[in-house]
Amino acid sequence: MTKGLQISGVTKYYAEGSGRIAALDHVSLKVEPGEFVAVVGPSGSGKSTFLSIAGALLRPSEGEVTVNGQLISKLSDRELSKIRLQEIGFIMQSSNLVPYLNVLDQVLIVKRMSGRVSKEDKAFAIQLLEELGLGSKLKSYPEELSGGEKQRTAIARALSNNPNVILADEPTASLDTKRAHEVVELIAHEVKSRRKAAIMVTHDERMLEYCDKIYRMEDGTLSLLQTNQREAMNLVKV
Amino acid sequence: MYLHIKSDTCVRYKNGGVEQIMFLAMKELMHSKMRFLMIVIIFVLLAWLVFILSGLGNGLSTLAASTFKNMKADYVLFEQGSQNAMGKSLLSDQLVEQVEQLPQVNAASPMGSTMATALKGQSTKNEDKIDIAIIGINPGSFLEPAIVEGSGLSAENPNHVIVNVTMKDDGFKLGDTFQLDGSTESLTIVGFVENQTYNHVTAVFTPMEEWRKITFAAPGSDKGIAGPVNAIMLQGKDIDSSAINDKLPGTDTVTRAEAVQGMPGYKEENGSIMMMLGFLLVISAFVLGVFFYVITMQKTNQFGIMKAIGARNGFLSKAIVSQVFVLSLISIVVGILLTYGTAAIMPKGMPFKLETNLVIIYSVILLIIAVLSSLVSVRKITKIDPLKALGRVE
Repeated sequence: MTKGLQISGVTKYYAEGSGRIAALDHVSLKVEPGEFVAVVGPSGSGKSTFLSIAGALLRPSEGEVTVNGQLISKLSDRELSKIRLQEIGFIMQSSNLVPYLNVLDQVLIVKRMSGRVSKEDKAFAIQLLEELGLGSKLKSYPEELSGGEKQRTAIARALSNNPNVILADEPTASLDTKRAHEVVELIAHEVKSRRKAAIMVTHDERMLEYCDKIYRMEDGTLSLLQTNQREAMNLVKV
Repeated sequence: MYLHIKSDTCVRYKNGGVEQIMFLAMKELMHSKMRFLMIVIIFVLLAWLVFILSGLGNGLSTLAASTFKNMKADYVLFEQGSQNAMGKSLLSDQLVEQVEQLPQVNAASPMGSTMATALKGQSTKNEDKIDIAIIGINPGSFLEPAIVEGSGLSAENPNHVIVNVTMKDDGFKLGDTFQLDGSTESLTIVGFVENQTYNHVTAVFTPMEEWRKITFAAPGSDKGIAGPVNAIMLQGKDIDSSAINDKLPGTDTVTRAEAVQGMPGYKEENGSIMMMLGFLLVISAFVLGVFFYVITMQKTNQFGIMKAIGARNGFLSKAIVSQVFVLSLISIVVGILLTYGTAAIMPKGMPFKLETNLVIIYSVILLIIAVLSSLVSVRKITKIDPLKALGRVE
């Protein structure tokens, strides 16, 4: 079984007027466990569509998406939500926390969605939050947190179900440089130590140093821009 | 798809339990107390009004017909063409013996009713004239209500009467004698009974003989009928009314409930209250539905995020429905308390009567209406696109 995330020949069409446009044009990408990949590109280039397809939120028109060895491009909505719950951790923009849950419950809500919360789950969540420097904020609500703390909570939430794939959508959008560095460094650290396959979509060029590979998305096609250090690249443009 | 959700729900219930389902709902309730307090206030007011109206309706119908409703009779035999109304019916009491012979009829007893005015002493003051309904019955028959004070009717003393306890509030007591307006008859109170009102006024029970004297004082007003009565009350389950109609020409037998409906003004009065209640319930459904919907709309993004991280429609729908359930329950309980509080400080003469089973029925109806109205919001949730939660800055 192949671990990680494989995207091969994925195309996504959107109807526009009488014709259709390709938001993604035969995009292929492979992310191994422990690999942290960045996707940059101008707005409207298809990054969001790409992330949605990788994150089981959207089905591709053509091509295949495999998460942790499981082909997900043909699943039903219901099965997709199960994949999202079990295999994928989303880190969204900072305010995307549930406003009436405290930090600990934000992380445990994922567990609640899949059934009951055991003592071990709680212990794991607390340990995770402590590791992310939120040990003293367990009972705080989002409105009491700084931007960085919110984003670290989001990271903990993404990791709480021990998914194989981590997807980050502009995680530094609302952070200052210092906080942004902290947050991305944390993501990179967790990705490495927990062997997750991670993709970060970002505008923020300052953050690219933490990634293993940097891809550029333009007009629906993906091309490798740069490989930081070691390891040979896999494939790029089609 | 639907069945899918069902079976999933069962499994969830098993390993989740109530705490699991209520989790999101309760967390949010506790976090935004003010917002939910507003809804609770509106719901409480609606529930309060529903309970007050139902108490009023019940009180009015009791006032109009409690004597009839409390009678231990199952069917009523009227004159044909009397529209089930006492005042339009005149029969001979000789029919009593005949009808008792018929199958399914266990017992029969005649009854008459007349509206009158009681005069307290020789006073000419407004408050000393009291509207009463004189109900003529045979002393000792099954139509005679149970006495709460004093003694019952007796054939030997035809002008000894038993009256509803509310006459005490008008200053009457045991042994008092009062004159009837426009009549030479005077009646002496020998006993008090409870919950006996007829046509919205106090019921005064007299022996049949005395009732005839009062009612047919004018010569010829009895149409020459021997032993005239207004109706004959029948006891017996499953009486075949059409069979009686065939056996006794010129009569019309109906159930007691139909006879109550036939009382002048009863249907109209009850109908308007029921119509108001009906409207109120429909309005409640819309008001609550819209409120829940607006609140749900505000949370579209939030629900989108939760869907993006893997929440299923069922998980979020249960959160909404359980939240509405809790809010409704709180509101209804407060509404009930307020209603009983209102009843306690209402003036005594108000026709207001709360009955536990009515309160329960309307509570359940309100609860069902609230939960059903939240289903519109549930539908909205199932349509939220988790994609919307991505790439959105707030």
